[in-house]
Amino acid sequence: MPPAAASLSSLRQLLATRFPQASRPAGGVLPTGIPSVDDATGGLPRHALTELVCAGASTGSQLFIAQLLAVTRALPARVALIDGADQFDPQSFPETDLSHLLWVRCRTPADAMPVADLLAREANLDLVLLDFVSCPLPGLRRIAAATWYRLQRAAEQTDLAFVVLTPATLVSSAQLRLQIDRALPLSALSVDRPHLAVDLDVSRQRQRLSVANG
Amino acid sequence: MFAVLHVADFALQALLRTETALRGRPVALLDSSTRPPHLLACTDSARACGVHPGQTSSQALSRCASLRILTPRDDAETDANSGLLAAAFGISPFVEATAPGVYSLQIDGLTARRREPALREALDRLTALGLHATAGAGPTPLLALYAARHASPLLLIGSERAFLAPLPLAAADPPRELAAILAGWGLRTLGDLTDLPKASVAQRLGPAGLALWERAAGEVTRPLHLLVPPPAFSASMDCDYEMETLEPLLFLLRRFVDRLVIELQTASLAAAELTLSLKLADETMLARTLRLPEPSTHAEVLFNTLQTYLESLRTSTAVTGLQLDLTPIRVATRQQGLFDRALRDTHRFAETLARIAALVGSDRIGTPVLKDTHRPDAFTLTAPSSEIAPTNEPRAFVHPPQGLVLRRYRPPLPVLVEFSSDTRLPIYVRTAQSEGTVREVRGPWLASGDWWQQDQAWTREEWDIETNALYRLIRTPQGCFLEGEYD
Repeated sequence: MPPAAASLSSLRQLLATRFPQASRPAGGVLPTGIPSVDDATGGLPRHALTELVCAGASTGSQLFIAQLLAVTRALPARVALIDGADQFDPQSFPETDLSHLLWVRCRTPADAMPVADLLAREANLDLVLLDFVSCPLPGLRRIAAATWYRLQRAAEQTDLAFVVLTPATLVSSAQLRLQIDRALPLSALSVDRPHLAVDLDVSRQRQRLSVANG
Repeated sequence: MFAVLHVADFALQALLRTETALRGRPVALLDSSTRPPHLLACTDSARACGVHPGQTSSQALSRCASLRILTPRDDAETDANSGLLAAAFGISPFVEATAPGVYSLQIDGLTARRREPALREALDRLTALGLHATAGAGPTPLLALYAARHASPLLLIGSERAFLAPLPLAAADPPRELAAILAGWGLRTLGDLTDLPKASVAQRLGPAGLALWERAAGEVTRPLHLLVPPPAFSASMDCDYEMETLEPLLFLLRRFVDRLVIELQTASLAAAELTLSLKLADETMLARTLRLPEPSTHAEVLFNTLQTYLESLRTSTAVTGLQLDLTPIRVATRQQGLFDRALRDTHRFAETLARIAALVGSDRIGTPVLKDTHRPDAFTLTAPSSEIAPTNEPRAFVHPPQGLVLRRYRPPLPVLVEFSSDTRLPIYVRTAQSEGTVREVRGPWLASGDWWQQDQAWTREEWDIETNALYRLIRTPQGCFLEGEYD
């Protein structure tokens, strides 16, 4: 280990010993019902930011949201969706899967970020979804890294899982980064959605937290 | 047994609690109804400069050049009086408005053990409202008043004789002529007077002397003229200055809320709605009713609701007056279902929603509810429910949702489409951003609705197409559009 990394590591250990409350342990996960996610990570970590990179069109980002809505409805848990480009289509969902949803229809990422900051501190929610998949990438890249870290710090103080859906890797503070890049075929339109969700191929790109089922 | 809540220099205190800028400064209150006008009361810092009640304004200003002289304001006194009344009703339902800033209460219903805590609680409430009050309790209204005037801040009379004897004669409010006579006799305290035989005092000083002796001995008692609790929960103030920033407005509202909450709690009610009316400098009124997610008697909840609203409010001109009305409601209690999932903090959630609504617009936040129609993109946004009822497990759909979810373009994306001359199916599409050959297609599906309403009728053909992605293509009388992307 290089000397700088070693001293950083020892500093982290020292801080964890001195301030045990500050180094909050992984406080459970929110299962997704998608085997490729749950088997690899246990689910979406609470108190943390998860980034889902949807590299390409029709890769199943809305399918991922639909699966999360179905799973959280069964718990039951309360979900907020910050719709960065106002493209959520309620008619694509069974009405029962919408009753626990708070939908915020934003026009631009600049509208969505202050809303995300508010909802990341909201103790009444279990899951917040920030959908930037269809937003223009140049605008998203203008979001400062400090903003993502601020969002991570806010999420750490609550019990919610915070998922940011992006078209490319953007969220520098993400504790878990997942990726879906396989475009779905037209034949998928005639398959039952629960089966599609189970077959969704999500790969893990980064995991900073050691999450445990809970 | 009686108690008295007493606010010394009531008119001055009522005024100062609404004027933050005057805190700690020498201030005096002028009675302009007399000739020449003289000072009614003054603050401690003014007294320290040699200012005293009874002086004329020029006398006072010659002693303290920085003295701020104010005149009494009815709305400030009304608001302070309401707070004092609410605190009094919090102790006993038998309340009399004895004088400005003085309320007498019959507290026979309180056990001896509960009297002191109840009075202390009332004093704490008044302190929170910006009124420094004292309280006293005694066997007669008069003795309770004496006790309140000499308390710091609470005095419960144990022995009447021991309490009264050392008090100065002025405590019994002697007429001016009698005071001079008694001073000539060398009498200084109530004890000095009551040491004299009652009959002898009556013989020499007449009925006025007899009444004074009885007051000095604490023998005077009377029934209270009882008040009825106020039916409305309202507070208002017209300011003689313009408020251009939020801070002074919030300061006044905090005072209002603190007082109204005491009134609500006294009446065992809770606020269901807040109606805030702002009087603007251009003589217009701006009123808004804010409905609380749950009835509440918490000052913080009510105040935060108002603050959240005001932070997002922009007015054309400054505010010169305000009124706050609470809609009271008797709180119904209900046991929640064992598996219901309710909000952890209803009021905080409502506050967050209000903040978001201020950012994105109130019509762009809520829980989507589908409309009973096949018209595309037909839904409404409703306020999120405070509870989520459990679903029946396992989820058993007769017809499970099928296929991918549409990522809907709002508005639909205009598209140029080339249709095959043989099959009449789309074979090539071009939008402003992209173009491509249609590799696979399904459809068409025909749909129409609301044909019985001329301005609402709609009709369309739909195809699901695969180019570089999966899209829903529609053809309407207005042209061809990509309605969204399957994702």
